[in-house]
Amino acid sequence: MTQQHPKVEFFTRREKLKAGREQTVDVLIRITPPAPDVDLSRHPNWKGRPDLNLSLVLDRSGSMEGEKMIRAREAAMFCVDQMLSTDRLSLVIFDDRIDVLFPSELVTNKPLLKDMIARVSARGSTALHEAWVRGGLTISEHLFDQGINRVLLLTDGLANIGITDTDAIVHQAMGLYQRGVSTSTIGIGADFNEDLLMPMAQAGGGNAWHVVEPEDMQHIFQVELEGLIAQFAHTVSLGLIPADGVRVVDLLNDFALTDTGRYRLPNLQGGTSLDLVVQLKVTAQEPGTQLRLLDLHLGFTRQDARNADVLKLAHTVEFVTQSEVEPAAENQEVVKAVQFLMNARARNEAMKRMDMGDFAGAESVLMGAASATQLACAPFGAMPAVMEECEALQEAALSLKDRIKDKLGRKKLAYAAYSRQTGK
Amino acid sequence: MTQRVLNERGKRYVGLPEFARIGAQILAEMDLEQHRGTVTTVPDERTIRFYLAEGLIQAPEEKQGTASVFGYLNLLQLLTVKKLQAEHLPIRKIRELVDGKSEEELETLLGVSGASRKKSRESDAKDYLESLLAPAAPRFTAAARPSQQHAPDVDMAGEATEQSWQRVEIEPGLELHIRSDYTPPTTSAKSKTLAERIRSLISRWK
Repeated sequence: MTQQHPKVEFFTRREKLKAGREQTVDVLIRITPPAPDVDLSRHPNWKGRPDLNLSLVLDRSGSMEGEKMIRAREAAMFCVDQMLSTDRLSLVIFDDRIDVLFPSELVTNKPLLKDMIARVSARGSTALHEAWVRGGLTISEHLFDQGINRVLLLTDGLANIGITDTDAIVHQAMGLYQRGVSTSTIGIGADFNEDLLMPMAQAGGGNAWHVVEPEDMQHIFQVELEGLIAQFAHTVSLGLIPADGVRVVDLLNDFALTDTGRYRLPNLQGGTSLDLVVQLKVTAQEPGTQLRLLDLHLGFTRQDARNADVLKLAHTVEFVTQSEVEPAAENQEVVKAVQFLMNARARNEAMKRMDMGDFAGAESVLMGAASATQLACAPFGAMPAVMEECEALQEAALSLKDRIKDKLGRKKLAYAAYSRQTGK
Repeated sequence: MTQRVLNERGKRYVGLPEFARIGAQILAEMDLEQHRGTVTTVPDERTIRFYLAEGLIQAPEEKQGTASVFGYLNLLQLLTVKKLQAEHLPIRKIRELVDGKSEEELETLLGVSGASRKKSRESDAKDYLESLLAPAAPRFTAAARPSQQHAPDVDMAGEATEQSWQRVEIEPGLELHIRSDYTPPTTSAKSKTLAERIRSLISRWK
């Protein structure tokens, strides 16, 4: 197959920067991996997607009884239907005990697998950690070197049996990811621990999903599977090397750092852009100066490769007088990206205030973010995405008045912030 | 590229000039880029002496006459230092990353681990997960526990024991419960005896 690189674009609010003064510059970095090549006639040995090696780890504790269990079974069966005979699947079910309902096997007998899933029923409490480990173990028996090895953990409750320490489990999820097995988590309803499931997926190289209503479960499974199938690269890191006189002040996406000081980015999905915003402090430059503002090193491992690639690019800007800069309109994509990432931070701040019992403060933070977004994006007229964002912030602020929905409201905030930061 | 590096496994390079020549050859093929700075992409003997003095490359203990004998580990150290320098890591950080690393670890850092990589990843993930289970093993029990008659060493009163069990469904209606420390029969005669016992047991349900 032709080796295509991700496309990396740089945008600033205005194409040229003002000379003669120190300034803070927002740079939008848009990374777009090539879309999956669907013309299979050109690649007879390519199935159009990587092989999947999945373990579904399904909560069957007592609280799952009823609609949630029915929908979870349906979603698991849907998953079986979507898999190919070259994929592998295992199913681990857990309450206070863990059963490997079937170990990792090629998906060649779908009726049998679905029949086994159909007989899963709810009971007991939640040994989440060990069930996740057991799921990982079934995968590690048949690790795919170039396919996708992933545990998909689905739960509606809190880890209350075995290891329950959030930091320890998150650290372990990262350790497992470094050994080739990623973890995605699906939290159902209002009673699971988002402070465990979200960081676990982030550290585990997978996705975090929140299912509010049981009937949405199949849709989430579909999105997760589509994401797996379209995965272009994993183990993605970003190095930013500013020029002399330039300093990186902030990466608004708040990505964690690797051991070597790089930003750890989410997996890259074919055809789906990942937007990052970096804030730079730039010293005063003379008019006419062409400054190589920033060097970028994007490290990634293609899904169909063993070794890492490093893509190296630089962004150069020109400094001109204020009168030359001012007439140019601001780039609305940059303004929007900055604002949405600031809103992710506002959501996280509101959650912290909720945890401290400061509901008025949380409401104020969210309403403030909505107003700031409206103000910043006003020059661009009615943009559907901006209107949707403002409505979501206002709705979250208003829902704080209804304390009965605290837990669900906090989860919605957490997952919306995560979605903004990771582009998922 | 991977194979080019792995071909050097076990080789020895007598004298600094020979070591520098091979290092330069491979680095030229690695095509490392450095946009800025004063670091050379291909090291000369002087640069290697600097790395030795800085402890980035381990000083070889073996000598032939007055010449030092460098080995594969030294070569991997050199290649890794250059790779990390090309990624703009400071010497201090590079030292941290390279210091005390084995050949295998340096191969991984360089991204050239060979054909054994899949197997090592597989066992690596498995060993890691098993280590996570070690303190929590008592929690893993079979869903439909075997009766006391069949598994007398499992505490059926409710409290978990030190053994862990895995349940595998052979076919609808028939399950196998396997304890973690179980060893399968090692001879065909023993396997046959076991199969006979199972056949005898399940025949009661006819």
